[in-house]
Amino acid sequence: MGDHEQNESFEAFRKSLSYGSRNDLNFKFFKGMSDEQVASFLQDLLHKLGDAYDTGDVLPLIEAAYEAQAEGYSPEPDAPPPRNSFEEGPFTPLEKAIANSTVGMLTTSGHFVAGDDPMPFGEASLTQEDAVNRINEFLREIPLLSEIPSDTPTSDLRVRHGGYDIRSAVRDPNVTFPIDRLREVQARGGVRRLASTFFSFPGATSQGRLRSELPGWVERIHEEEIDVMLLVPV
Amino acid sequence: MSVGHVGRAIEESGIPTATVMVRAFEHRARELKMPRALIVKHPMGRPLGAAGDTTRQHEVLRAVFELLESATGNGTVVEFPESYRPRPLNA
Repeated sequence: MGDHEQNESFEAFRKSLSYGSRNDLNFKFFKGMSDEQVASFLQDLLHKLGDAYDTGDVLPLIEAAYEAQAEGYSPEPDAPPPRNSFEEGPFTPLEKAIANSTVGMLTTSGHFVAGDDPMPFGEASLTQEDAVNRINEFLREIPLLSEIPSDTPTSDLRVRHGGYDIRSAVRDPNVTFPIDRLREVQARGGVRRLASTFFSFPGATSQGRLRSELPGWVERIHEEEIDVMLLVPV
Repeated sequence: MSVGHVGRAIEESGIPTATVMVRAFEHRARELKMPRALIVKHPMGRPLGAAGDTTRQHEVLRAVFELLESATGNGTVVEFPESYRPRPLNA
């Protein structure tokens, strides 16, 4: 049983995956589901694993986890609209074809260039584990926008974000920060030019302080003279 | 959701934006009235596709560029048709 209570409830178990003793950012949505929903999901997953013993095909397991995750984040049908929901939104029409455009990118993936750590809380060398453990501090903190030259070698990219499982982004930064893919598109003429600088910050941050930062960020983004901006949240 | 505020501010300043979002966040794209959102049927943390799946990553970029060129008004939400697939790094 390790550190856990001998008579731990199922509720305590499922909540422990959300920044608790069994933290798993892929399954933190268990916290918002009912015991019955999580139990059904786990039973189904184990059944599919039984099939995979013979077939070697893990896709049904992945699909079941994906469906549960999408369901876990969806609001209840009768839920009231959350804060920060809008009736109307801005729209700027495109002026030219993408092939003739300069393309920028901003992601909330928490990427930065090695040697240019944004140093949240003024601290150097914060690890991913630190970021996970201090998620509540991040959610109150001012967001720090990292500038990433668009010719940065992928091997020089670093990623840290306490809100999602970064393992995939560590294996291949392009899953959340598609810098190589954009360079390839540009090389074969799919876009005219890339911004000289891309941007990233960890999206798990104070929303109010983010809004205060935005005028300055937008001014900086306009210096890139881009025609369109690709946004990638995580 | 941070990207909603960022996207609105950039779009309002005169730069067209398009957002690649996993389906778990689709409701937020609608609630935030994101100008253009491509919804991908990928797990969280992998909006462009699996690590090493360069083909899928390019397909997603192509789809989001098509969305930029085709959208005619705010709140255009398009679903990327393919399901997620894992891809070994050495494949």
